[in-house]
Amino acid sequence: MPDTTYLDANELVINMGPQHPATHGVLRVKLKLDGEKVLGSEAIIGYLHRGVEKIAENRSYTQFAPYVDRMDYVAAVTNGMGYVEAVEKLLGVEVPPRAQYTRMILAELQRIASHLLWLGTHALDLGAMTPVFYTFREREEILKIMENYCGARLTTHAFRIGGLQYDLYDGFEKEVLKFCDYVGPKMDEYETLLTTNRIWLRRTKGVGVLSGEDAIALGVTGPVLRGSGVRWDIRKVQPYEAYDKVDFIVPIGEQGDTYDRYLVRMQEMRQSVRIIRQGVDRLASGPIMGKVGKIIKPPAAEVYHSIEAPKGELGYFVVSDGSTHPYRVRVRPPSFVNLQALDPMIRGHLVADVVAVIGTLDIVLGEVDR
Amino acid sequence: MAQSVFQFLQAHPLILATVKIVILLLVLAGIVAYLVYMERKVLAFIQARLGPMRVGPWGLLQPVADGIKLLLKEDIIPAGADKWVFLLAPVISVVAAFTVFAVIPFAGNFFITDVNIGILFILAVSSLGIYGIILGGWSSNSHYPLLGALRASAQLVSYEVAAGMAVVGVLLISNSLSMVEIVQNQQKMGTWNIFLQPVAFVIYVIAMLAETNRNPFDLPEAESELTAGFHTEYSGFRFALYFLAEYTNMVLVSCIAVTLFLGGWLRPFPNVRVLDFLRYMPAVALIGAAAFILWLGLKSRVAAERYVFAGLAVLCVLLAGVIAIPPVLAAIQGIFWFFVKVLAFLYAFIWYRGTFPRYRYDQLMNVGWRVMIPLALANVILTAILRYWLSGRHPAALTAWVG
Amino acid sequence: MGIKDLLRKIFLVDLLKGLRLTFSYQRPSATYTEQYPLVRPLVAERYRGAPRLNNNPETGETLCIACNLCALACPETLIVVGWERTEDRKKKLTTFTYDLSRCMFCGLCEDACPVDALELTQDFEIAHYNREGMIWDREMLEQGPQPTRYTR
Repeated sequence: MPDTTYLDANELVINMGPQHPATHGVLRVKLKLDGEKVLGSEAIIGYLHRGVEKIAENRSYTQFAPYVDRMDYVAAVTNGMGYVEAVEKLLGVEVPPRAQYTRMILAELQRIASHLLWLGTHALDLGAMTPVFYTFREREEILKIMENYCGARLTTHAFRIGGLQYDLYDGFEKEVLKFCDYVGPKMDEYETLLTTNRIWLRRTKGVGVLSGEDAIALGVTGPVLRGSGVRWDIRKVQPYEAYDKVDFIVPIGEQGDTYDRYLVRMQEMRQSVRIIRQGVDRLASGPIMGKVGKIIKPPAAEVYHSIEAPKGELGYFVVSDGSTHPYRVRVRPPSFVNLQALDPMIRGHLVADVVAVIGTLDIVLGEVDR
Repeated sequence: MAQSVFQFLQAHPLILATVKIVILLLVLAGIVAYLVYMERKVLAFIQARLGPMRVGPWGLLQPVADGIKLLLKEDIIPAGADKWVFLLAPVISVVAAFTVFAVIPFAGNFFITDVNIGILFILAVSSLGIYGIILGGWSSNSHYPLLGALRASAQLVSYEVAAGMAVVGVLLISNSLSMVEIVQNQQKMGTWNIFLQPVAFVIYVIAMLAETNRNPFDLPEAESELTAGFHTEYSGFRFALYFLAEYTNMVLVSCIAVTLFLGGWLRPFPNVRVLDFLRYMPAVALIGAAAFILWLGLKSRVAAERYVFAGLAVLCVLLAGVIAIPPVLAAIQGIFWFFVKVLAFLYAFIWYRGTFPRYRYDQLMNVGWRVMIPLALANVILTAILRYWLSGRHPAALTAWVG
Repeated sequence: MGIKDLLRKIFLVDLLKGLRLTFSYQRPSATYTEQYPLVRPLVAERYRGAPRLNNNPETGETLCIACNLCALACPETLIVVGWERTEDRKKKLTTFTYDLSRCMFCGLCEDACPVDALELTQDFEIAHYNREGMIWDREMLEQGPQPTRYTR
């Protein structure tokens, strides 16, 4: 008798392999299906593990800075910011205000770039193949500013411990303000294409609902948490850089479904533009590097510092033993923790919604696997 | 000499039909190949990019390159697949798609045949294409293609019902199943059917999109979904056949929509004498095309390309001159308007693909069964009531309807 | 749902608005493509591209003082500086090896150099046909990569 057990209609285990156009990287998801409904899932990660935390033990503090960009490769500036601020906390170094404002402007620009990429790929997963080209074109403008500032578009290595390496180039303020004016109408265009589109509403409303209590219990942070109605943004709660000196609102959602998270991220982009304008306004001249010696040798201590990266709370736990090399650098990636929410969010949905939910969590496998 | 050839063909209808069929197949194959090119270019422009540019000037030789590539690919048949069914399935799809062109009138006297049950023939034979999909998925001996094939065929079958009922609305007005007579009826009434049956038109357009597995109903063949569709295991020329079948289907449903709703080969306002100057549109369109080609060519950096484009522009102007001669103009009228309308439909197909996200499968079936079919039924009932009421009230209108 | 919303739903207004947007994008001025290699991209001044060992423009001699700071700063330890002592106990540069295949283009070596001898230039066309070609010696570093310029 041929083995037909795999045809049993009750439960089918399907593998959404590491190689898949819609898993945003090398994510493997094993789905347990009943027909087309998802009963449970298991995410298998580690296909992109590069041993970044181990590398940190063998590099000096300055030498490790370029490696952190490669974790969340979509938003390298905020990765660098988190690490550099953690080490500055260890050293007790005060960053001058000009550097603080510049860091804030670049981080908000990076937030817009990250959300633009998220929007393009999320729309592409759901079948709309044009927004991805438009958002990448806007992202191109941001990357040009990054390139003009520090010389690289993606793996920026923009910040140094204690401040900045490069001062702002001539025309930085003009270009940034031009970009702010340029991106507003473009975001209205995306809204025209998607926000009221009935097909989009059908695909995203009620899909992947995560309640506020569940989100907090799972440790989810970032737009996913805010989409579920919890007002928690590290820029407001534990401000760093110059965030306490600028004015912005934190958008939150109501139902905690994919549509709400989409709206939250769109609004966050607009708020970022607001922060950037205020930052450029208040840029004063001054030094860009704090009082840091040539060799960075923090006292033997440990510190945990987290920032609001575009994807959630990015945390760095740095343990120093008094030498030039860190004893341990542990990274708390937002995507890794957010990925745990995938299972509860897709139970009871259809297979086609799995793709939508993975998209809405905005995971980057470089961060999940490090 | 031409007279004798003509008389020979008239005397031997079988040979005439064969010649017509061969010409139609060649022309269709060319149109489908360049439809793929047009899709890539239009989609690219919508997405703020350029599309194929390197193979030939402005990428015009891209379909040739694609065809050669597909022909030279390794022929893989999966182990355990039902070999003959596997080989036959794409052929069924292609044959079903091409056969329906036999009853489509491209102009007043440009058709292969005009059966008096034209629409019935169309609905019947185009449904046979679904076999090609099911058999292709089944014979691949893999559960992903099978699931994809089942979904695709369920979708197609559901939307066939809606399309059929939308067509019934047109039949009620035209009083005939023959395609040629439907167009002639529109000429008699002096208006295109779309103005008399707008709801049926919208339903038919949506059903068209679902029939040809196009966005927003293209879940069965979308790459970013779990099952990659019924043509997963096909590669090389067999995949090209499925592709050919899909694009031929696109052209087919556009032709049907044009014939049923947009007046076939009639020009806009066919009975209004004042707009008779529209007769010269073919010549004007060719001169416009010449100007466009000249403008494109002058922007090129390569001297050879500039000469080629200038030559093409001159050719178009000469052709426009030839067309302006009255007998040629009269002959080419019908097919020109038909071609323009079909092109508009195909453009709309590509436009929708570039704009809309896609429906999930259950939402797709929801739209088909719970929105389209009741609407189409309501349309049929309403049309029947209106027709009865109008013919009863105004006896003169009876002759206008029945003709 | 009000009457206005109902009419919007029936007449597919949201879909038509999206269609209008994508239609307007087909004008040639909206195309954002740069046809490389016919059109070469504009690279920023601070771009961190291929490394170069600078020479003194007047004397033609190398600016490098063989201090080894760049090799110490590199996270990947891919720079190897060879030197020898001259008669007046000064360091003279002999060989300078840079392994481009492992380089992250992070710019730490450029930051560390005290005399601006090592600089990351704006060259980005550094592809090579074999792995050995990615290990640059002093001569290659001083000349820079010479990529083929395509015109068609």
